[in-house]
Amino acid sequence: MIPVETTPLRKFISSVYPLKETEMERFLESWQPFTCKRKTILTAAGETERYLYFVLEGVQRAFFVGNERQEATIVFTYPPSFSGVADSFLTQTPSKYFLETLTNGRFLKISYQKLNDLMNEFPVIQRMVLQLSAIALKGVLERQIELQCFSAEERFKTLMARSPHVLQIIPHKYLASYLGIDPTTFSKLLGSVRI
Amino acid sequence: MLALYKITKMPRYICIDMLDSLQSDVRQLISEANYLKSIDPAVLLQEPAPGKWSIIQVLEHLNSYGRYYLLAMERSMDKGTKSVEYFKPGWVGDYFTRLMKPGENGQVSNKMKSPKDHRPSKYPDAFPVLHTFLEQQQYLLDLLELAKSKNIGAIRTPISISRWIKLKLGDTFRFFVAHEQRHFVQINNALVTIRDTKDILPAAHPAV
Repeated sequence: MIPVETTPLRKFISSVYPLKETEMERFLESWQPFTCKRKTILTAAGETERYLYFVLEGVQRAFFVGNERQEATIVFTYPPSFSGVADSFLTQTPSKYFLETLTNGRFLKISYQKLNDLMNEFPVIQRMVLQLSAIALKGVLERQIELQCFSAEERFKTLMARSPHVLQIIPHKYLASYLGIDPTTFSKLLGSVRI
Repeated sequence: MLALYKITKMPRYICIDMLDSLQSDVRQLISEANYLKSIDPAVLLQEPAPGKWSIIQVLEHLNSYGRYYLLAMERSMDKGTKSVEYFKPGWVGDYFTRLMKPGENGQVSNKMKSPKDHRPSKYPDAFPVLHTFLEQQQYLLDLLELAKSKNIGAIRTPISISRWIKLKLGDTFRFFVAHEQRHFVQINNALVTIRDTKDILPAAHPAV
């Protein structure tokens, strides 16, 4: 048996919602390791998300495919954070969008069934999942404000202030798509910031 | 056991990895079919050259195989067999899968002719055909998931042209997906011809 690398997950959970050791151990032992090549679709539109992932290595992208071949990048995930189509996972209904890996990835994953069993057995784990969902919801609504009220330049600057490292790990065309601006505008903004 | 494997030289797969990899191939096909939804139906119904199948005809051809194989595979899994760690392809199944699968360069060099009863009608309605194709792929993803708890080397599925020839379920999945991938190369080529542009469909990840 390869030992499962759960330390990053333990650290992450402890920073959000500390658990007692017994519960923490039961929680951590329910995850299984998973690796995957770059440019692999983990969840397709129409499919119901079976897993919650915790990212150990690599970058992933969720994107929606609209009419006229428009593609909207919804979210990126990278370590240390959770991944998977969260809304489809939590509601167990079909996903409206795709989740793909941009690079080779290493993950921990847990099935819906298993997490549900844990939540039933340990109410504190359920509260922790609620806390994690609340944080995610807060992030989504903040982004909603940015997309609706901010100019392209403001959106760009907000991203640079919040997560400057994404410039190094995510292809710029996807960052542009995430901000809802076209790639040429994105390079212009990038140039103006550097000067 | 290992010695025997070396003599026969047949590749051996870890079942879960193989089924995972087939699932990601199917998801790739779903994403490509999703792009087709946004294309003008007139383009989807146009023959790329006189006598050549339109994109919708290609999909209808795939649907006709789906109607047979998806049900046949589901039925073959009715019996309770336990999963095992490894899958070794049968030589017939492996041969046909290799024959079907597009080459490393993502192209098809060996043309084939379809059996008569799988030739699609000339003017099928575009959207229902695309819709059925996508539905069948979701069904296929579920069957691949179900197969993770079955012995895909012991279960056998009768092929469409003869009830008497049966392939290992693992090979039937491989063959079925390879056949779809082959025809998606054809679909991409048809789009390139009709629209006179390059790289219409989102690039597939390199073949495993």
